[in-house]
Amino acid sequence: MNPELSPNVNEHLRAVEEAASSEALLHATRSLVSLCAQLEPHSNDQQAAILCLLELLGTNNPGAAVAAVDGLIACGNAAVEPLLHNLDEHNYGARAWAVRALASIGDPRGLPVLERAVATDIGPSVRRAAARGLGNLQLEQLLAAERPRIVERCLRGLALGCADGEWVVRYAAVVGLEGFLPQASAAGIPGAIAKEGRSLLEQRALTSEEDTPVVYLRAQQALENLSGAR
Amino acid sequence: MDPSSPQGTPISEEEALSRLRQQEDASQRYYAAWWLGRMRSQHPEAIPLLLQALNGALDAPSNDPDLLFVARNATRALGKLEAKGALPPLLRALQHPDHGLREAAARSIGELGDASAIPALVARLQLPGAAEAASGGLRLGEPCEALLEALGELSEGQANPELSAVLEGFQHHSRPVVRSAACRALLQLSGDPRWAEPMLALLHDGQLQVRRAALMDLGASGWRPAGQALADCLAENSLKLIALKGLVEAPLGCPAPQALGAPERELLNLMDQLL
Repeated sequence: MNPELSPNVNEHLRAVEEAASSEALLHATRSLVSLCAQLEPHSNDQQAAILCLLELLGTNNPGAAVAAVDGLIACGNAAVEPLLHNLDEHNYGARAWAVRALASIGDPRGLPVLERAVATDIGPSVRRAAARGLGNLQLEQLLAAERPRIVERCLRGLALGCADGEWVVRYAAVVGLEGFLPQASAAGIPGAIAKEGRSLLEQRALTSEEDTPVVYLRAQQALENLSGAR
Repeated sequence: MDPSSPQGTPISEEEALSRLRQQEDASQRYYAAWWLGRMRSQHPEAIPLLLQALNGALDAPSNDPDLLFVARNATRALGKLEAKGALPPLLRALQHPDHGLREAAARSIGELGDASAIPALVARLQLPGAAEAASGGLRLGEPCEALLEALGELSEGQANPELSAVLEGFQHHSRPVVRSAACRALLQLSGDPRWAEPMLALLHDGQLQVRRAALMDLGASGWRPAGQALADCLAENSLKLIALKGLVEAPLGCPAPQALGAPERELLNLMDQLL
């Protein structure tokens, strides 16, 4: 028992710690996650819950990990620093979940991790999550003067994702680009960037360039969606 | 990690071919054979070298562990490269005393897509003791899961009562992964959704390994109504994405999609949520 935490949070953390089966762990994780949304941002309670969720990313229990990612996303920006400081260098399953949480939260502080992950991580699932995240950074959180440089870095990462040897990373980069392009143009980004992003998508949509059907179909869909949204 | 997919430093195609060509270091040959399959090598020497590696083990007077070790990966690579001409040696490999080589051969035969191999696969399944635990209970007498999956691939859409009867014999097998493989084959063969039901139920099994097998079997079957259930299964997103890709690219009972329609959009949307 940690005296700095509320009894309710203590009880939930203990349930996770003491779970004796994978179903019990899943159940305990889910109830901790449902509590997360009610915790006061940046309180001790919330920080303790976040650290517990981070540990759950490394357990071999995909159900619990999915729930833990949802919990971290619900904590939003408060989860970003702990996520950045607890990336598991030795477990790419856990890293994939952590990058996935960062990708969904979309806090620009995650950019260096996403960039490095898409370029160099050995786990395709990590590169996949990073590629999607590069298209989902919340650019409005940035000062106007910072935007062009950040947007440029996102595009470089997405271009790497589009050229990846694994279909699933290219697929994620296509989805990333579909999210990135409208955001970038809303943020008043130079036309050259939008043009380059679009031409990356057009390349992925060609059956002569892309050999995986699900990737070219998804790129065709992205192009349709973008022209419809205009 | 899958022992058949060794991670290593990136090498060039030339380097892979020369590593497979040399005879001194079996582990180099093993990696090279895997690499050629993984990278879908189109080099004219790739298939002849892989065939040589397989024949080397088939023609050896006794079971040389090094030769077998290389031959298993060569067998897998021949399947990945869809080397149509490899069917005769693969059928020989299916008769080999080494369980691992038979298993690799069964999977590759499924990938070649030549239905003339069906009787040979069925014959292995019908051997005495084929479906019973062997080698201290770790595996079955024959690689039933691989044999059943290959039969599903080769018999899609071809009503065949005799084959159905053989496959149905496995639907009550004690191992859930074998039941799943049998149902997958029956679903592919008949298109009858009742064979999807047992696999959908196994998506909720208590064992992660069983859920993964059912997930991959449903994905490989191309039975699109399973889409949402695959997305909801408690398993790794990377596997769910592969399974959903199967539904998009190779739908059961209809040709591969040339353009986007509503069913494809729905499946792509499920995939997007898993990235």
